[in-house]
Amino acid sequence: MTGEHHHAGEVDLGRVWIGVTAQAWRRHPGRLERLAGRLLRSPGLARALVVTPSLLLGWLIATGLVLVAGVLATRETGTPYVAICAPGIAAASIAYAYGPGIDPAWELSRSTAVSDRMVLLVRALAVFALNAAFGLAGSAASGAATAVTFGWLLPMTAMCALALAAATLARSANVGMAAGVAAWLIAILSGQAGAGRLSAAVTDSVLIAPYLATAVGGAAIVLYAIRTERGTR
Amino acid sequence: MNVETVDLTRRLGRTQAVAGVTLSAEEGVLGLLGPNGAGKTSLLRMLATVIPPTSGRLRLLGRDPGDHAQRREIRRRLGYLPQSLGYYPGFTVVEFVEYFALLKEVPAERVPHAVAAAVERVGLGDKAKTKLRTLSGGMLRRVGIAQAIVNVPELLLLDEPTAGLDPEQRMAFRTLLRDLGQSATVVVSTHLVEDVGAACSRVALMDQGKIVFHGTPAELTTRGEGTDAAGDAQLERGYSAVLAEARS
Repeated sequence: MTGEHHHAGEVDLGRVWIGVTAQAWRRHPGRLERLAGRLLRSPGLARALVVTPSLLLGWLIATGLVLVAGVLATRETGTPYVAICAPGIAAASIAYAYGPGIDPAWELSRSTAVSDRMVLLVRALAVFALNAAFGLAGSAASGAATAVTFGWLLPMTAMCALALAAATLARSANVGMAAGVAAWLIAILSGQAGAGRLSAAVTDSVLIAPYLATAVGGAAIVLYAIRTERGTR
Repeated sequence: MNVETVDLTRRLGRTQAVAGVTLSAEEGVLGLLGPNGAGKTSLLRMLATVIPPTSGRLRLLGRDPGDHAQRREIRRRLGYLPQSLGYYPGFTVVEFVEYFALLKEVPAERVPHAVAAAVERVGLGDKAKTKLRTLSGGMLRRVGIAQAIVNVPELLLLDEPTAGLDPEQRMAFRTLLRDLGQSATVVVSTHLVEDVGAACSRVALMDQGKIVFHGTPAELTTRGEGTDAAGDAQLERGYSAVLAEARS
């Protein structure tokens, strides 16, 4: 062994110490982060995903509590409160997924190899999927009609796209959340005023085209706002 | 050249933050001096690939940051400390540095060793498991430096790195800078002339978006000799003389 030829004075104690501390400080990623790392093929992207502000435990518990309250209210009154709440909650969550103001190290992460664009897209998709799953579970638990159970998915997509577009354009999570929630409130109140039902915003087929337009327009704005600035050569 | 800019400009709204900077840098420590609002931070942000130039030519580590694949290669080899370091208050020192090691695509198996080396190098070994929210401003600055060097960068960009450091920490940091400059190109933006004199092999002085001086600290000192330029130290007098000349 080469070590046998080393004198005691030749041992690099600094290197040994770094090796010891590296083992002592090593963080062991959770199951979810390991799974995300395999799916995304990037440990950095996986880490960025699991620290998404609107995917943290406190936020998820709050979302769950609101939806449970919605399930109870739906069963009690017959009004589909889960379907009415879900798009607004998802819009707020997606606005708080990533960006200046909400992600403290945003400036720093714009200089790293894992692109901020990918981080935003992965986080937005994860937040959307989780909120959709929550909403579907809540709707099913509340015993709502099939049309209502799935009817809110399109408005939710539209409000999420709108909130994300506003957040990325204004570079503010608060502006994004305000835009998404305000637009959804306007849609609900307009439905109430026009059809006399709060649920008109999720069941009225006349609204499909405006929701689709909002979703596509919002997504286009987001992609434009986060486009890779090529600069000059 | 690890940094090469030709007639680089950057417009921020109506303001011409950087107005035609031509600069090159090889291994060593380049001090970027200048008064507040001179354009140092905008220039560093362009070098860090955070913002693209409005016009001009920029090459970093022999690559074109305007090309996606090349920019990614640059970023893997880049360390950047912004002027105001955003951080996650609930992260520990190690978690924060590790987060950026992963975002810089340091190979996963090398991350623990890289993190430990960076944290020890900035003297925060005893605070490794401490939450960032409990650290002082000077310690947070050192955490920022640790994340910047965790990937052993070939190009290191530091914006006001000594802000908030006490005199002892500043001296230790200058030693670290000189050490890092042996194998990497280090660009340090500062308005503290003594930092430049103590740690930099080259100095560029910016004013109103332009480079008004580029040379060695000794050459900058010479520019102040025989003038009535303001300053307590020789280098400060050189700094004042060059600025006065540029503005006249």
